[in-house]
Amino acid sequence: MIITADRIPKKRAAIIQEIADSPLKINLMELGFLPGKTIILNHIAPMGGPMAFKLEESILALRKSEAALIEVQLL
Amino acid sequence: MKSMSESISTSLVKIPKVAIIGNPNVGKSTIFNQLTGMTQKIGNYPGVTVDKKSGFMNYQGSKYQIIDLPGTYSLYPNSEDEIIAHRVLNELNEEARPDFVMMVIDSCQLSRGLFLATQLMDLGLNLALILNMTDVAVKKNISIKTFEIFKALGIPILSTDARGAKGLDQIRELIHQQNFNKSAGFVTIEELVPKATLEEVKNKFSLSNYYQAYQSLRFGLKDKTVSAADKAWIQRKLDETNLDLDAAQLEETKIRYRKITEILEKAVVKAPKLKEDRGIDKILLHPIFGYLIFTAILLLIFQAIFAWATVPMDLIDGFFAELAGWVSSSLPNGPLSDLLTEGIIPGIGGIVIFIPQIAMLFGFLALLEDTGYMSRVVFLMDRWMRPFGLHGKSIVPLVSGVACAIPGVMAARNIGNWKEKIITIMVTPLMSCSARLPVYVILIGLVVPNETVLGVINLQAFALLSLYILGVVGVLFTALMLKNILKTEEKSFLMVELPSYRTPRWKDVIITMYNKSRTFVTEAGKVILAISIILWVLASYGPSQRMDKIRTEGALKIEKTTDQEQIAEIQNETSSLLLENSFIGIMGKSIEPVIKPLGYDWKIGIALIASFAAREVFVSTIATIYSIGSDTEDELTIRQKLNQQINPETGDKVYNTATAFSLMVFYAFAMQCMSTLAVVYRETKGWKWPLIQTVYMTALAYISAFIVYQILS
Repeated sequence: MIITADRIPKKRAAIIQEIADSPLKINLMELGFLPGKTIILNHIAPMGGPMAFKLEESILALRKSEAALIEVQLL
Repeated sequence: MKSMSESISTSLVKIPKVAIIGNPNVGKSTIFNQLTGMTQKIGNYPGVTVDKKSGFMNYQGSKYQIIDLPGTYSLYPNSEDEIIAHRVLNELNEEARPDFVMMVIDSCQLSRGLFLATQLMDLGLNLALILNMTDVAVKKNISIKTFEIFKALGIPILSTDARGAKGLDQIRELIHQQNFNKSAGFVTIEELVPKATLEEVKNKFSLSNYYQAYQSLRFGLKDKTVSAADKAWIQRKLDETNLDLDAAQLEETKIRYRKITEILEKAVVKAPKLKEDRGIDKILLHPIFGYLIFTAILLLIFQAIFAWATVPMDLIDGFFAELAGWVSSSLPNGPLSDLLTEGIIPGIGGIVIFIPQIAMLFGFLALLEDTGYMSRVVFLMDRWMRPFGLHGKSIVPLVSGVACAIPGVMAARNIGNWKEKIITIMVTPLMSCSARLPVYVILIGLVVPNETVLGVINLQAFALLSLYILGVVGVLFTALMLKNILKTEEKSFLMVELPSYRTPRWKDVIITMYNKSRTFVTEAGKVILAISIILWVLASYGPSQRMDKIRTEGALKIEKTTDQEQIAEIQNETSSLLLENSFIGIMGKSIEPVIKPLGYDWKIGIALIASFAAREVFVSTIATIYSIGSDTEDELTIRQKLNQQINPETGDKVYNTATAFSLMVFYAFAMQCMSTLAVVYRETKGWKWPLIQTVYMTALAYISAFIVYQILS
């Protein structure tokens, strides 16, 4: 099932399919959010705050709206 | 003669420049600190406000200049910090360009590190790679075949663990041996951008390769140091060729990462992980405990500062009071003695007394940053900052603002979004900085009884806490107003790495404390000392006719009596009259009608004028004003002196509850810090924002103080 990364259940792994076109696309890709990589949602700040994803060996925090740009396939 | 000719020849030899670059949180600063120690200098880059950190490394009789560049993920800048890396590395000026570039990479984040490293390769720089944090890689069971990376890139590679001080001698040796190399290039940019255009750009700006040409096309329009004519030329080229630079950049990113992945497949072996060490985040990023712990840490820091910093501060205060007493008793009476005991010594004392607080606050901030906790705070706070037009990263300037607005305003440059940055800069000076503390402490000591109510609440501590909360309320209120006034098209975003937790490096913390204190003493100290001396002059001299007349009349009265008590009384009266008629007295009196509704007399008016330059000057001014004419030798503390002040018209104390609270509220909101204004000017590149800031803060202060005084009196 293809969903956007802001909707991944906590602690579930997902494979990045595509990054939606947006001015932030390049920033996400430079950080390593590339198609084929696996991400895991580790933490969510309360009240719709930022989300922290594990990507390879690092933890990266994104706002919910930014996570929504990442299309993933749940594992 | 030999030594002289030697010194001349060495001064002519160019000192090699080595720039250190890398992603954020890779231990770049640790390496920089270890190499340069206490020789660091903070300078400025033209056109932008990012600090230029450089220092010298002496190794085996040779000297090297080391430049620390701000952390960045790529050569495509998102914030001012990052544009610096781009600018320094693309420097056309032979003199300013670094000879060598040392790229620091986190061994656990090789692909992200190599992304930037290969961009540097494409720029044709003399490079060496430092694979740092090898200790963490070992813990994570990651083994790296550095030879495979070297084979693929052709650049010298070193493995280090800078925190454990492992491999630093090899770094020194690498620099000393100048073991850097230019590589053949990694991504062929001509495949993405027409070669003819690149050739034109390359020739126009006399660049050495196509990737540099491509970078100039990409950033020439954004870089403020590029001339208008060149910008127009670049724009014309872009229009002519109809180039989609964004698409080219995306494509470049994909190709680069693909090639890096190919290399790393051969070079990195990941064994199954031993254990997940992110357990701490379960608590520190917890929706409830996370915030409780953050609040507790803040309280602990402020508690520690108030408990510990007061000890050295009292010692410093006592020392300068004794020094002034000793100087005045051992020097013959005269203008020199007066200048020393009433101008210079209290002035220097007023600077030195802040060092314990500033050093401690910066120490704590460095500690939070160094352990990796600060990024967690950004994560936790972003949601709560956004409704006020602020960014998660605004929390760092705002928390720093409790120490001093100057580094706080400077820390705002990490915020990429213009509107969020401006709002952060505008409101940071409303946080109660340490310079307000002495004003608060003295006034609270005067009017709030040192009593405990309900068993636990100390009234003085409660009053102080309320003033801090007042500052925060001011911040949120003003930010909200600005959020609705300012307009921007720019999209706000938050992408921040939460680095692994590390034990702090005490040496780095100490270096930060030392550097920040030194900056304060040399930068703000100059202003404060100069103002103390000017003040003393203004308070000691006045229109000579008037001053002479008062002196002659005083002398005549003294001649008529022999009673010692009467003589002393006449002397005090004369000095008081002299002060009233001095230049500063005239200035203070002229603003008295304006400040009377706030409950202030002309002496407080003098302090207000003086402390427009810096808040802490309030205390030293008050000290100067009230010590002039009284005997310095009796070493009365400032608070006792203030308590003795009686309003000559009403016979009441000048510093009554209403006036003291009105003053505290005034100081909570007023923009009384020239150094902050100067920094805001620097950060916003113009007088528009510092002026708006001064006006709104002064208005806020005046109105609030007026309301407070009218209610309480």
